[in-house]
Amino acid sequence: MPGLKGRVVGQHWYTPYVFMLPGLLFYAAMFAWPAVIAIQLAFSDYDIVHPVRFSGLDNFVRLAEDPRVWIALRNSLLFVLMFLPLTVVAPLFLAMLVNLRLRAIQAFRMLYYLPVITSMVAVAVAWRYVFNREGVVNWLLGLFGAGPTDFLLDRHWALPTVVLLEAWKNAGLFMMIYLAGLQAVPSEQLEAATIDGANAWQRLLHVTVPSLRPTFAVTLVLSMLEAMRAFESVYVLTRGGPLDSTLTLGYYIWSKAFEDYDMGYASAVGLLLWAIMIVLAGFNLLVTRRRDG
Amino acid sequence: MARRLYRTPPRRTPVSTRTVRRIGLYVLLVAVAALFIGPFLILLSAATKPASQDVFGFPPDLIPRPPVADWFREAWTTIPYARFLVNSVIYVGITVPVYLVVSALTAYPLARIAFRGRGVFFMLFLSIMFLPGELMLIPRFLVMSELGLTDTFASVILPAILSSLGIFLLRQAFSQIPDEIVEAARVDGANEFAIFWRICVPIVAPTLAVLAILGFVSVWNSFIWPLVVLTSQSKFPIALGIAYLSGVAGTDVRGLAAGTVISLIPVVVVFLLLQKRILNSMGGAVKG
Repeated sequence: MPGLKGRVVGQHWYTPYVFMLPGLLFYAAMFAWPAVIAIQLAFSDYDIVHPVRFSGLDNFVRLAEDPRVWIALRNSLLFVLMFLPLTVVAPLFLAMLVNLRLRAIQAFRMLYYLPVITSMVAVAVAWRYVFNREGVVNWLLGLFGAGPTDFLLDRHWALPTVVLLEAWKNAGLFMMIYLAGLQAVPSEQLEAATIDGANAWQRLLHVTVPSLRPTFAVTLVLSMLEAMRAFESVYVLTRGGPLDSTLTLGYYIWSKAFEDYDMGYASAVGLLLWAIMIVLAGFNLLVTRRRDG
Repeated sequence: MARRLYRTPPRRTPVSTRTVRRIGLYVLLVAVAALFIGPFLILLSAATKPASQDVFGFPPDLIPRPPVADWFREAWTTIPYARFLVNSVIYVGITVPVYLVVSALTAYPLARIAFRGRGVFFMLFLSIMFLPGELMLIPRFLVMSELGLTDTFASVILPAILSSLGIFLLRQAFSQIPDEIVEAARVDGANEFAIFWRICVPIVAPTLAVLAILGFVSVWNSFIWPLVVLTSQSKFPIALGIAYLSGVAGTDVRGLAAGTVISLIPVVVVFLLLQKRILNSMGGAVKG
């Protein structure tokens, strides 16, 4: 195909565009057009009832002075900080566990992956029975003499609980990414290290982890972006409460747009989130590139 | 690590120690499995306990004595779970085939036809990945009302038709098809569409299957977007239906548990049937 000079039989200049036409139409209608509207709204006042009115930088001035944006930003960053070890480090150990050559290991991989394919709503309902005041977790805590806690109603516990649940739901996905990485670790190197007398921990630290570098880059970006945009879990578990303790940027955008119908302002917060995500992804790219180079 | 001057052969572990180690590993694997399926089992237990048995209580009493189907029957009859399920089946049934066709059509020239700006078009479709869904909720809602489609089945389906993952994976699959196969058809006078449809699409069937499963799971679980764009309860997909009812029927812990279990059955069945394919694809897909 490429490299062939001249017209290939059965191909016209417009052939590729005919193929791509449906895709381009969907792209224009569902991505490009909405993206333009989002940017336009961020510089406008819009409440669904009244027509869109250009308001310049008003929304961004408001944003800078809005204490709840800073609470949401802080919560989102806390979310990232708690989420990273749970999705970048813990699933590596899960992957090492299911990478063992044991009978029925595929069944265990499957069980660990199950939460990934279930809906966040179903997951939230299931965990409600676990974290309830009379649920299993409080019973376990009671065995150690700790009093029952209403995890999702407690200002200090709500955010960590949401993070934990989100990490639990995604652990299987990260595990499978690591598993693919682990199976690419050269086994000669591991054998050589074993012969040199390295114990399991040393092999992990000096052979496995360094050769997983590209995998870490993938999981780190995925994990950060996932945490930064956390919304569904917050919506179904806490609705941002109690007292804004689980108010993330994603949830704040939602509540401004679809509870207060303050769509222009919500779009401005959306642009802030977009910018942060791009910076995070770019920073990550930069760091991993430099290490490789 | 300092290299030793001489190599010692690895010592052979006695059989008994190996057995003990193996049992230990299985204990660990089962313990971790409990962590991942435990909440679902607790849900199942709440959904099958007879009325005489508490859902909660210390110490937790998880075995239903005897297991009953009352709450499933109740969920099925008093709450429109059946309607929600039918809706979700419709959403999946329309979205997934259209998604596959559009993705394949888009990916094909990006892989197999040399034309000016091919790279630019590819980047365009990949850029979908970097648009945060939360930011798109508001403008997409406005686009839908502009098109007069809010609160219709179409409004739920349209945004799910295009994904960068689909185009990315299919482009890779198409470009791996050997030139000789395609050239032979060309010599026989097949036009480009015939080559695409009769030769290339069957070859990339495994990739299409993976995308079909991923599409099924994501449409089945979709929740935020339907929540934004739908107002009539009669059009709710199952995940939204459950979220809605957990607010409305918040006190009926058993009915809610039963409804949630019902919603999980189709994805779990599909997953169990096709798990090997799903698990193999996931790691590879994300790694690219």
